[in-house]
Amino acid sequence: MNINISRENNTITVYFSGRLDTPAAQEITPQMNALAEEASNSIILDCSELTYISSSGLRIFLMLRKAAAEKGGKIIVRSITNDIRSVFMMTGFLNLFEIH
Amino acid sequence: MTDTTTLDPHIQELLMQYRQLLPIYEQMVEVIPEKLKEFFADAGFIIAAVEHRVKTEASLAGKLQLKGSKYNSIHDVTDVVGIRVITFYVDDVDKVASVLERWFEIDWENSIDKRKVHEIDSFGYLSVHYICRIPESSYSDPEHPELNRIRFEVQMRTVLQHAWANMNHDTGYKSGVEIPKVYKRNLSRLAGLLELVDDEFSRIRRELSNYRRQVQKLVASGNLSEVLLDGDSFQSYLQIGPFDALTRRIASINQAEIHPVDLSAFLPLFQAMRFKTLGDIDALVKNYFDAAYQIACFQIGLTDIDIVSSSVAPQNLCTAYILKNGGGRIGLKLMLDMLNGPSEGNEAMASFLLEQTKDLPFMNQ
Repeated sequence: MNINISRENNTITVYFSGRLDTPAAQEITPQMNALAEEASNSIILDCSELTYISSSGLRIFLMLRKAAAEKGGKIIVRSITNDIRSVFMMTGFLNLFEIH
Repeated sequence: MTDTTTLDPHIQELLMQYRQLLPIYEQMVEVIPEKLKEFFADAGFIIAAVEHRVKTEASLAGKLQLKGSKYNSIHDVTDVVGIRVITFYVDDVDKVASVLERWFEIDWENSIDKRKVHEIDSFGYLSVHYICRIPESSYSDPEHPELNRIRFEVQMRTVLQHAWANMNHDTGYKSGVEIPKVYKRNLSRLAGLLELVDDEFSRIRRELSNYRRQVQKLVASGNLSEVLLDGDSFQSYLQIGPFDALTRRIASINQAEIHPVDLSAFLPLFQAMRFKTLGDIDALVKNYFDAAYQIACFQIGLTDIDIVSSSVAPQNLCTAYILKNGGGRIGLKLMLDMLNGPSEGNEAMASFLLEQTKDLPFMNQ
């Protein structure tokens, strides 16, 4: 699992690549917690290279969503594959996120 | 500072007292509105605005020139500090008055309810004016004990009464110029009209509250087929947790955590499914419970997913209903468009759902 974070103006883009399973989620949690502190900005979660998401990965997305709601920011899930989209749908989380 | 050298010595004395007390007055217009907002919040009132002002020296001098002889000291002028509480509804003016009566000492002799001074055939300024003091039990400042002795005026009126009073003020009151009777009559007509509008707003609010109470009663008593499906009734219905049992059952498949979410987004979907009453949703839950559970078992039973949103239950119920009623892929796509917003991805998800469910037992019963 790799993540890259880029910043441009008031938009932060996180590029996920590989499998966001439980060990990967634990590994990136400190970075995601730091990102949550900046959730007053627009945060784009680019999932074009994300091949798998576990419950722990979903929880990270939910944590960022909560932080954005509290700080007046916005979370956008971008370029989601149909496999990942189906996980969001089956768990009832699809309509919680703005998906582009 | 106003040039007061030409004024009567008694007025000059009153103005000097005013200047000495000015810092206290300024403290009062900071403190009182904050205390009021606190009291209103505690009482659960929604107030349009709380305004405040300290009478300017020029304005006070003007008043004293007209009526100075009736005041022995500046403490006898009760409107140097003025607060105005503006409410949305006419009923709330009395509620505000009751909050003031609870937290402030009211000088009843000098307070006035302008609503009661009108003859039955006259219309005009409607406002309740209370002359108050802050008791130490509500607020005190050891450095400025005078703050608890100074009287101040609180005007209470509705937004519409406030608008009328401002128009009336701009059109002639205090200008010193007598305005023609025809304009006075037009202003009176407007006051009568606004009084009617204020009463209508209050009536609508009362009726809406009654309707909500009635809906809550019907929902609680289980007479759901008598309750029309709308925003209010749906919110009341959601409070009894109609999907909770199914959500728990679905979560139990993987001992999953349930992430609660707002289910309001399902209302337009239920309406698009031509559900007319809450009874229709209740029937959906009863008749499609097993089908919705079958969908969830197939979808998450072979995964390690241990978190689901509370929307998964109504989503699966709607999926099963659409499929069993011939909605097919197009129906599922419409459902996903309504829940998630239109997107190309919904087409793929509709196909995915159709493929997943085609061999489930409920589809063949």
